[in-house]
Parts: sequence; C-alpha cells; structure tokens
Amino acid sequence: MQTILIVDDSATIRRMVRASLGALPRTMFVEAASGLQAIEALAVSSVDTIVLDLNMPDMHGLDVLRFVRSHDRYRDIPVVVLTTRGDADSGEAAAAAGASAYLTKPFSPAELASTVTEFLAAARTAAAASVNPRESSR
Amino acid sequence: MTDRPADFIASFMDDYFAESDEHLTAVRRNLLLLEGAVDGEAPAPVVEELFRSFHSLKGISAMVELKEAERLAHEMETCLGLVREHRAVLSAPGFEALVDAVTALEQVIVARRAGQPIPAIDDHVARLAAMCRGARSHSESTPSLLRDAAAANTADLWKVTFTPSPDLVARGVTVDSVRARLSSVGRILDVTPRVTGDGRISFDFQMTGVDDAAALESWSDDGIAAERATVVPPKRDAEGEPQPPLGVRAFDAPAAPANFVRVDLVRLDDLMRLVGDLVVSRARLEDALHRAERFVPSPEWRALQEETDSIERQLRDLREGVMRVRLVPVAEIFRRMPFVVRDLARDNGKRVQLELAGQGTEIDKFLIERMMDPVLHLVRNAVSHGIELPDERVAAGKRPEGTIRLAATTVGETVVLEVSDDGRGIDIEAIATRARASGIAIPDNGLDPQTVLDLICSPGFSTKAHADRESGRGVGMDVVRETVQEVGGTLSVDTRPGLGTTFHAVLPLTLAITDALIVHAGDRTFAVPQAAVHEVGEVDPQSIRTIENNELFTHRGQTLPVVRLARLFGIESAARSRMHMMVIGTGLAGVGLLVDRISGQREIVVKMLRDPLVTVAGISGATELGDGRLILILDVAGLTRRLRGRGSLARAAV
Repeated sequence: MQTILIVDDSATIRRMVRASLGALPRTMFVEAASGLQAIEALAVSSVDTIVLDLNMPDMHGLDVLRFVRSHDRYRDIPVVVLTTRGDADSGEAAAAAGASAYLTKPFSPAELASTVTEFLAAARTAAAASVNPRESSR
Repeated sequence: MTDRPADFIASFMDDYFAESDEHLTAVRRNLLLLEGAVDGEAPAPVVEELFRSFHSLKGISAMVELKEAERLAHEMETCLGLVREHRAVLSAPGFEALVDAVTALEQVIVARRAGQPIPAIDDHVARLAAMCRGARSHSESTPSLLRDAAAANTADLWKVTFTPSPDLVARGVTVDSVRARLSSVGRILDVTPRVTGDGRISFDFQMTGVDDAAALESWSDDGIAAERATVVPPKRDAEGEPQPPLGVRAFDAPAAPANFVRVDLVRLDDLMRLVGDLVVSRARLEDALHRAERFVPSPEWRALQEETDSIERQLRDLREGVMRVRLVPVAEIFRRMPFVVRDLARDNGKRVQLELAGQGTEIDKFLIERMMDPVLHLVRNAVSHGIELPDERVAAGKRPEGTIRLAATTVGETVVLEVSDDGRGIDIEAIATRARASGIAIPDNGLDPQTVLDLICSPGFSTKAHADRESGRGVGMDVVRETVQEVGGTLSVDTRPGLGTTFHAVLPLTLAITDALIVHAGDRTFAVPQAAVHEVGEVDPQSIRTIENNELFTHRGQTLPVVRLARLFGIESAARSRMHMMVIGTGLAGVGLLVDRISGQREIVVKMLRDPLVTVAGISGATELGDGRLILILDVAGLTRRLRGRGSLARAAV
C-alpha cells in the first residue's frame, strides 16, 4: 500500500490530481488544503509521495518543501511540485528548494501519473538513495 | 504539450463552475472592501485574499482550458501582486479596470457554461497590463505569510505547542481546529512546524493577548502544551531577503471549515420526489385503515392508528430534513447587489448606501435562482427611479446619500424579501394620468397601492417617455410579479410620496410539499395551500349582503368581498344553510372564499401545471389524495388578484 499526499487549496485541482492518479495500484490518497494541513498529514500518516501546490494560504508550498527536505525522517519523500503557467520563476525556486520534479498547470494527467509512478518505483527500489532534483521534460 | 482528453476536462466542469463561483463571490466582497482604500494603503488581508482568489482562478481555468479566464485572472493577479508588494498603489482608474475585468471574467465563465461564444477580453487585458507596466512581480517566490509582524514586539508572549496524532485527528483535533480554539483565547502571531527530539512533528504557536490562560492549560489532553515565552521569536528570513512588512496576515481568521459537501440539485429533487411518493403512500395507508376500522377489533385498530400516526410524524421530520438540505442563505442573492448599486449609482450620478439585513435567512435553492433577476430589477429600479439626485435630496431636506435596504426574514413557512428605498416614492399621479391615457378606467378617489402595483406590473407600462438603460434589460415589473407568482408567492408595494417605496415579496420556503386545506364545492374537491389562508370560519349564507351584483360580508368590522368557489368554476352546488369561508389576503386585499365545506388538512405533494396549453386561471397545480383521486390546487394569489378588481369597486360602492 502506498500513500500519496495531495496538497492544493483548490478542491477542483485536488480532484483532478486524484483522478489522474486514480489508476495507480494499491494507492491511498490524503488531501490537504493548506501548508499547515500538509505538515499535519505528514505527522499522522505515512506518506510515500507528495503532489504539492505552491501558492497556498498560511504556509507557502516552498516552505512545506523546505520543511520536508530539512528533516531526516521526511527528506527522501519524492515531492512533485505543481506550478501555475505564467509564474515564470517558481519552477527554478522549487528545484532549488529540493523539488523532485515540477509540472506546470495545466498539467497532463498522463504525465503526472507517469512522473509519480516513476518516483514511487525509484523510492521503493532504492530507499536509501537521495533524490536528485530534476526537472521534468515538458 | 499536454494531453488532457476532452472527457477528463468535461468531467470537472461542474467543479470548475462551483469553485469559480466561490472565488468570484469572495472577489466581489473583497473589491468592495478595497474600494474604500483607493489611492491609499490597501488593507493587507484583503489584497492577499484577492491575490489568492485570482491565482486559484488562473490555475483552475488553465486546467479546463478556458484560456480567456486564465489570462484575465493572470493579469489581475499580477496587479494585485504589485499592490501586495507595495510596488504600486491602487488608483481609482486602476480599481475601475479591476472591477470591469472581474465582470468580464464572470461573463467569460458564464458564456462557457452556457456554451455560448466567449466574449473578447483583449481590451481588459491591455488595460490591466498598461496599469502594471514597469514592475512585473515574481509572485510565486514571495515567502509565506505566516506571521503577524505588526504585533510581534509585544511583551506578553506565550508559546503553545500542538503535537498532532492519528488519535487526535480521529477526535477532530487538528491543526485547524486548534488554531480556531487558540484564536478564541488570544491572538496568534505565528505558527512554525518543527520535528521534535523523538521524531514527531509539532506546531509552535506564538501567541499574545491571552486572556484565558487556564483554558490553554486545560487542553493538555488534546496534545496542546502552553508555556509563557519571554523571547520574541526571531523573524524568519526566507531566501536571505528582508521580509517585506506587507504581506502580513492576521492569523486569527482560520480558514473556513471544509465540512461541506456539494450535491447536485437533481439528486435532491429525486430525494424530494421520493419523499413525496412516501407522503402519498402514507395517505393511502391511512385511507385503507379507515375503511378497515369496522372489521378490526378496537384495541388492534388503535395500535395500528398509533403506528401510522408516528409514521406521519417521522415522515414530516424527514420531509423537513430534506427540505432543509435544499435551503441556502439568501446571501447568494444579496452578495452581488453592492456591485450593481455601486455601478448604477455612479452611472446615474447618485449617492446610495446599501443596507443588507437577514443574509442568513434560508430559502430553497430553486427559489434563489428564480428570484435573482426580479430582486436585481427591484434594486435597479430603486437606484434609477427611487433615489433622487443628491441636490434634489438636499432640497427636500434629506441627506444627499440615499439608502436602499434589502432585507430577508422567515415568517412561518414563508420567506419575506423586502426591497425599500428612502427616495421620492412612486408618482401615483403620473401613473393615473398614464393609465387614463391608455384607456384604463381609474376611480376618482385615487389609487390604492394594490392598483398601483397592478398598473406598474402591466406589460409595457412605463411612465417614462423613453426606455432608459435600466428599463431596457428585458426584465420589467410585469416579469418581476409573474416570477413571484409562479413560485407561489405574492408581491405587494407600499409607497409614500417623498419618503420612499417598499416592495415585499412573500415566498414559500419550498415548493414541493406543502400543507393544504381540502375543500369541497358541489361534487368537486380542491386543495388550498394553507400558507395563503389567514382565517377559516363557518358562515350563514343569509348574512352575506348583495350590493350591485357584488356579495359582501362583514368580518371583524371590515367589509370583505365574497367569492363562491362553485360559481367561479361553474360548478353546480345546492344551497346550504351553513358554509365555510376562508379569508385570503389581508387588509384591503382581503377576499372571503366561500366553499361548501372544508373537510380537513393534509400534506400534499405539489405537481405544478407547466404546460402552457393546460394553464387555467386560478389553478396552480394538481395533487393526489390518499384514495388515488387527483385534485386541483387553487392558485389563491391569482384568484384574489383577479377578484380584487371587483372587490375594490364593491368597496367604492359601500
């Protein structure tokens, strides 16, 4: 069983992400609508991958990402960041903060699914290996 | 680039429309708050929330490939970003450009929803882009806004630590609920998540102004630990840049709780229909029981009777429960009104203050949708025809600023919507003159409010020599009244020269199931919605006087025109020594409706008659009785309306 944490303040986007990843086998979803909720979800569930929006109320997605990357316990969780088209620099900012990949809204469901699948597989086979920041091909 | 199949997008359009509605509602509310701050310091939380709404609208519009909405939202987000970062001040023309762009954005979404061509947006985009030319902001790299810096140097500090756990979450104790709880005893300055020595995650809340330390300390069972702190928390320094002092957000306003579900109205309609079927089945059961009464020993029969009585009570609760689910606050209608009033007042050179009351009043979702345009029209009328120009008002000894009040209240099973203004009042003389010119007979002793309403609600009736911008919108007073009546409500008006005008719309809470009186005339049976009936009594037909072909009855010291239901529908009915009378409407609009007898009260399931070919004046629908008979439901409002003409003549003759 694997758990994917979906963090976005838009309920519509959360549903879209869920629908995009719905075909993954043995997968549970946990949703969070703010940065604080995301951190809480990390505390109470065992999360295998995070799909993370950046611009959210209370706590910015980059701060969530920095939190994840600065604690041993969560450091290796793959984080796929969703940025929004037109916010030119946020992809680099996310990569600098340790994003495993970033996709731009409007994202392609198939691309999101293959990116997440790839990270889950990599995390399973090489749990110890640190995840290199990489940019997804668009 | 992307491969989002059309059906993927299509399956999210409802979510998209619902969520963009929510954002647009928040945007409208915040723009109004921002208007007061034009050319000055814009309140940071308002700017922040607007920025966020546009950002979300941009994201979801991009996902559903509504590019025009995405572009508009993007431009507005950029402008707000500049204001947020104090790189620009919102000017009056800038504010107008924003308001216009929001209207355009709304039109784009509405057009997409209706499957119509998307309106052009290039002008709006160019206007916004010109406005924020020069400094393009890098909005997404701004640090999080987790701190109330304005109060960060106060002495009285507390550190409250919350450590979430699965058990606590199961009990509903979450970081959001804790935050709400803490806000109730003090002021939250900052929240920082951290990992504790034993590897658990905690949230550190920095608080000040704690007025109930005992409460803080009593929550230790909920994973909350409080201690006095003496050191001001160091300012977080994101990306090595100085924290701009602007994006500060009061942490005391927790995000709205997410315990709402969205339900398709069609599903609720299905549920309501099922409840309706149950009501009919139970009525049949009761009928069957009555027929069986003489065959069943009386103790057994009484037990059966008690059971059906309790089923009836439960059914009523169920019905009310389903009905409550369909109710939404009238605030949905009210929210857009400040915008309408603002724009229209500006266009007409008027000064208007809008007061809203009873926004929490709830009414059926279907009714809300139907009433949107009529209320909009009444409010527009109040601005363009009711409220005078500022100098006219001053000359009349009033404040230059007019007041329009929009109020909603629940009265029994009805909701009363009121639109009132303190303007010049309806010019009754002008209406009488206009009516005479159109060949309508007007009594010499002037017009009562009901007749005034009848006249202004006649199709095409206008005292204006030419149609102005507002009256050319396709919804006239005739449509307003028709809509109110279609949903089973009544419209009335109260106007005083120089003091103002009030329109009241009395609407049923819901349409599907209602309490009705079952009445008989000759061999026919009818249902009369109980909400319309003010009083019921037995009368001796001898006590009804006839004056000039009009029957009159004195009731509580007032003369009421009397209408015989049998005569109205041409039903043969033998003369009786006692008959039942229902008083319908109040005051001058009151009418006595005479029937052979009233046999009882029932919950009926209303089937509206919608086919225009079978529309009958005085009949609003049909319902099924327990014995399977179909009976007609009287359109009481329509009847009194038709009869009142005669009634007022009769009164004139008394």
